Amino acid sequence: MERKQRKRYIVCFCALAALLLLLLFLNTVVGSTRLGAAAVFDALLGRGDEAARSIVRNIRLPRLLAAALLGGALSVAGFQLQTFFANPIAGPFVLGISSGAKLVVALTMIYCMAHGILLHSVGMIAAAFIGAMLSMGVVLLASGKLRSMALLIVCGVMIGYICTAVTDIVVTFADDSNIVNLHNWSLGSFSGMSWGSLRAAAITVLIALVFSFLLSKPMSAYQLGEGYAHSMGVNIRRFRMALILLSSVLAATVTAFAGPISFVGIAVPHLVKSLFRSSRPILMLPACFLGGGVFCLFCDLIARTLFAPTELSISSVTAVFGAPVVIWMLLTRRSRRAQ
Amino acid sequence: MKTASIRTRDLTIGYEGRAVVENIELQAYPGQIISVLGPNGAGKTTLIRTLMGQLPPIRGRIELGGTQFSDLSDRQVASMMAVVLTEKPEPELMRCRELVALGRYPYTGRLGLLSAGDWQKVEDAMALVGVSELADRDFDRISDGQRQRVLLARAICQEPEVLILDEPTSYLDLKHKLEFMQLLRRLSQERELAVLMSLHELTLARTFSDEVVCLRDGRVDRSGPAGEVLSETYVEQLFDLSPGSAKMFL
Repeated sequence: MERKQRKRYIVCFCALAALLLLLLFLNTVVGSTRLGAAAVFDALLGRGDEAARSIVRNIRLPRLLAAALLGGALSVAGFQLQTFFANPIAGPFVLGISSGAKLVVALTMIYCMAHGILLHSVGMIAAAFIGAMLSMGVVLLASGKLRSMALLIVCGVMIGYICTAVTDIVVTFADDSNIVNLHNWSLGSFSGMSWGSLRAAAITVLIALVFSFLLSKPMSAYQLGEGYAHSMGVNIRRFRMALILLSSVLAATVTAFAGPISFVGIAVPHLVKSLFRSSRPILMLPACFLGGGVFCLFCDLIARTLFAPTELSISSVTAVFGAPVVIWMLLTRRSRRAQ
Repeated sequence: MKTASIRTRDLTIGYEGRAVVENIELQAYPGQIISVLGPNGAGKTTLIRTLMGQLPPIRGRIELGGTQFSDLSDRQVASMMAVVLTEKPEPELMRCRELVALGRYPYTGRLGLLSAGDWQKVEDAMALVGVSELADRDFDRISDGQRQRVLLARAICQEPEVLILDEPTSYLDLKHKLEFMQLLRRLSQERELAVLMSLHELTLARTFSDEVVCLRDGRVDRSGPAGEVLSETYVEQLFDLSPGSAKMFL
């Protein structure tokens, strides 16, 4: 039986990797400017005409890498929060963490624009992290008071609404010329990703991922609950702190560059768990990262091409595909319990 | 004289400086079963939580295998003491074998990967408790009685010297209560395990424990061999029962 399980894991990982490669390819080739596969290949190697080269190397490539990287980061953050709260519908968007990050980033951007300061990508991540931690703090305070997980989620959704409303008000009153830029970002999009931002995001995400992976052992013990984890030698306070910091860093980095993206953090971990038929952190962390990349590349492809040249916000597309997954999950969970 | 696997000295337990039970002196030797009895709110769960290190003692100390608890690292404690708690774990998509394997936690490396020897111990623990046929079932799809045994297998897999259980028979029907206690009795003897548990069922406590510790009104009211302590008159006194009604429970 053990061997059969292992075989399933290998097949699943290979399938995810193959899907990722396929979508990376499709995202490079497909776009509002029609370029053949040959032209794209030339452009990648630095040959062919100037325009094609610029489109592929400065627009498509950073964008698709951002979608893969940030989608993965968001899914991992979701998986961590679900373990933390022992609740499958916890996630950075639902708990208001993304919206908190968005609010502080918007305020920082407006302040910097008004004072003519150029906001560096590290500054963006820092601002997003502060926002994420503020929301997280409120959620944690509430979780001490609210024993019910359903109420906690409602609390998170409310925090999300408040932050979004304040962001909207701030954006409305911001300087006209800046609004377009800010408005697009606040809806969520992988567009306009520069190589510089991508590098900053990649470094932050990869460091957070390495630490998350090292945390997979205590995470597996924590899946049995606090008491059991403690009895196996997990330092609960330190573990919880590390988990919260890491998931906030991941969610904040995504929000800093792509705005708030809904449902990825809940839907992807659930899909991946169902696919692997396991929830072991040591498998799920890399699998969620791959799965999140696949999911966001797929959604971004649709966002770019469905009504081209008009682009949809990435969050609308992830909601269309992610929300049904969440509903399906809630329904099947109930029937599982009833058995 | 053998060293006690677990011993408390002048232990006072409670929350945030407020004492719940004072001056607890108890000890459990290898192969012994000790039951902690008492009415609701007497401090049974507080005692369990203090003994497993989840709650700091207000005064006094706890010794594991002769060493003071606070001198041991988290990992050392985990390799000496395992627990079965009242909190019901609900891990998603976790097979029983994986859950039992978590018992190897104190012995594995940074990533928690099990060696072939570790996996053998997982199989052995499941066989010993009699849950081998559940190994590939999901933990959230088996009955309460089966779950309790799988949780016990996990604790055994941790290879402790002391086993602490918090009301282990509460959710079980009569048949499973009896089977679980017989299993504990056998394990404690085969594995030289000191077992300490809180219990509500007086009959089970009298049949299966070597000694009982009775908590009442913020102190250890009485302790000693189960048969001697649990007389009808004393049980009526311990639980505030009207005279003559203790018969029903013994």
